[in-house]
Amino acid sequence: MSDARGGEAFARLLAERRLLVCVGPGGVGKTTVAAAMGLHAARSGRKTLVLTIDPARRLATMLGLDGLDDEERPVPVEQLEPLAGAARERAAMYAAMLDTGAAYDSLIKRIAEDEDHRQRIYNNRLYQVMSRSFGASHAYVAMERLYYAMEDGDYDLIVLDTPPTRNALDILDAPGRLSTFLDENVVRWFIRNKQPSSLRERLLSRGGAAATKLLGRIVGEQLVDDLSEFFEVFLSLREGFSRRAERVQRAMRADDCGFVLVSSALATNLVDARFLHEGLAEREVPVEAVVFNRAFIPLDLPAAEPRAARAEALASAICPKGQDDDAARERVREALTSLERLHDVVTAENAAGQRDIDAFCEALAAYCVRVTTPRFDEELRDLSALARLGELLCT
Amino acid sequence: MTDRISLLRRRLLLFTGKGGVGKSTVVAAIAEAAARRGQRPLIVELGHRASMQDIFLGRAGGSGRRRAPKIGHEPVAVRPDGGVWAMNIDLESALFDYVVEQVKVKRIARMITGNRTLDRLFRAAPAVREIVMLNKLRQLERQQQADGAPRWSPILVDLDATGHALMFLEMPRMLRKVIAHGPLRGLVDSLTELFTDRQRTTLCLVTLPLEVPVQETLELYHELTELHEVSIGGMFINQVPAAPLDDAAIAALDELETRARASDDVAAQREVLADVTLARRMVASYRHARAQVERLRELGLPTAELPRMYLRSGEALDLEALGERALTGLEGGDA
Repeated sequence: MSDARGGEAFARLLAERRLLVCVGPGGVGKTTVAAAMGLHAARSGRKTLVLTIDPARRLATMLGLDGLDDEERPVPVEQLEPLAGAARERAAMYAAMLDTGAAYDSLIKRIAEDEDHRQRIYNNRLYQVMSRSFGASHAYVAMERLYYAMEDGDYDLIVLDTPPTRNALDILDAPGRLSTFLDENVVRWFIRNKQPSSLRERLLSRGGAAATKLLGRIVGEQLVDDLSEFFEVFLSLREGFSRRAERVQRAMRADDCGFVLVSSALATNLVDARFLHEGLAEREVPVEAVVFNRAFIPLDLPAAEPRAARAEALASAICPKGQDDDAARERVREALTSLERLHDVVTAENAAGQRDIDAFCEALAAYCVRVTTPRFDEELRDLSALARLGELLCT
Repeated sequence: MTDRISLLRRRLLLFTGKGGVGKSTVVAAIAEAAARRGQRPLIVELGHRASMQDIFLGRAGGSGRRRAPKIGHEPVAVRPDGGVWAMNIDLESALFDYVVEQVKVKRIARMITGNRTLDRLFRAAPAVREIVMLNKLRQLERQQQADGAPRWSPILVDLDATGHALMFLEMPRMLRKVIAHGPLRGLVDSLTELFTDRQRTTLCLVTLPLEVPVQETLELYHELTELHEVSIGGMFINQVPAAPLDDAAIAALDELETRARASDDVAAQREVLADVTLARRMVASYRHARAQVERLRELGLPTAELPRMYLRSGEALDLEALGERALTGLEGGDA
């Protein structure tokens, strides 16, 4: 059902862009689509990286890997035939999973000044809590991970998978929050100078006694001290954070980056997808392509009219009078009646889905590529199934 | 890990599930069913995109939409006849509520939350958002009517995503490590007490009969039961398909194929074979879904199967009927 132009245009995105960000509601197969995109680009001759957030084992298995973690692992694409006419030299695919805790640790390892500084950060209790448990910090680290891959990875294309709908926009807002977090005024409020005196002394000396007392009353004095240390160890990282965040933000808004919205044809998913589409528009990030995944049930006989009436004729055709007994004919007729009814139900369902897709598409910009994929009989299990999905997206 | 206390007798029901499994719909449906049984349900969203606004108020057409109240930080009745309340905890208001609770004087609280530097700090510092939201939940749970009865029964919390539930439950434990004493410690302790009180609080899992969501639900269940004291009060499986064909038709598929292949009528043969292919595809998908349901049922939790609904744009849902079905499903699973 995906029109040819959609598929071709989608293939062009995979062939030309350097960064593709997949966003979409949960449960629509977004991670699988991201992996299929990366795989297709690799088979077309590009060196690609898929950065996923999905911790499910199934994805690693599908990619032919033992597991997925922060490390970029080569996917055995050589098992598959390269696509016709594809250059072989650079064709390769890598995959890594964003594990917030591990990614934080390796980030600190990369950017801390020295071993002592690194240990102080690792040992700070607030760092431990923040890097291991809080959702909001995911976006910071996703961004850092992306930066690292962009700088060090020598990739032709990076496909970034994002968390479901509501948090997906964080990745665009993160630098804002990050700079708030490490806002000069906030940090300076805590750390007036680099002299090793306690926070309270410092604040008292600057006349912040009343404020500190209040803060202590609200959150407890011990936490104020921990917070101060936390800011202190992060202070030196601030400049680097902001610089990298800016670079990633520029990369995400550059011409060679595209946002791909993945949805299904179900109304509940489309509502979430619309929310995302609007959120991206507010942030002046255009959606380059929409994938309506698993949007219809493939039918071998596209029925123009209801088929319920066909049961009788078909029964007579395959079970002619005189050749079979009445019981057999009745059995065949009844079974075919059920089958034709099912066919009509599925046809109606597909049509309703298509109507909702069409309504959704009215809000899309003219340049936005639209692709629709069918529901597979079984869930995708291996690299060749993933390759098939990639081909479907591009034809 | 389950407690045989009927769901609606608990005070705090936490609903969790991967995005896209229809969690908000289940929450709304159970609230409707609770109202029908004469309770005072309050639905709480945690500051994310307001699904309840769409579910309860968005679907009213034309002028009704304009007059519909907005779900905000204070509970509002979301049905024309009252009976179901909803709110969406707002970070700023929850922060203010928390500060008022600590310093007792609103003027001082306003001074604190109005301080630009402190405000930035609160927005940016780790865990502030989660702490003040949990605190708000605790306040709601304690509210009483004039006669001393709980103001809300039950409180249904629509958690954002799978990870969110774990994080919420983990939070008091994590914070205990960071906070040894001080006012926050008291809060953390009372949160721990609330969440682990199996009489008052229970967690409900919402999922779909598909391989990936089921796998995640099983993993979540094991993580929850290994790490936490929290009770798991029920499992809701959404979008469970009905059998696509009657047994007789399924049994006849092979025969139809054989007969079609033997037929001289090429057009009829093609049509019947296509029909058989589609039927097999639908039966396989149905059986796959049933197998997933069975995997979930092996946990032995009270489990409700909810029917598959092809909701298309503009279609309204009979929430009350769905809620009744969810509750009776649980009770059936309980037997």
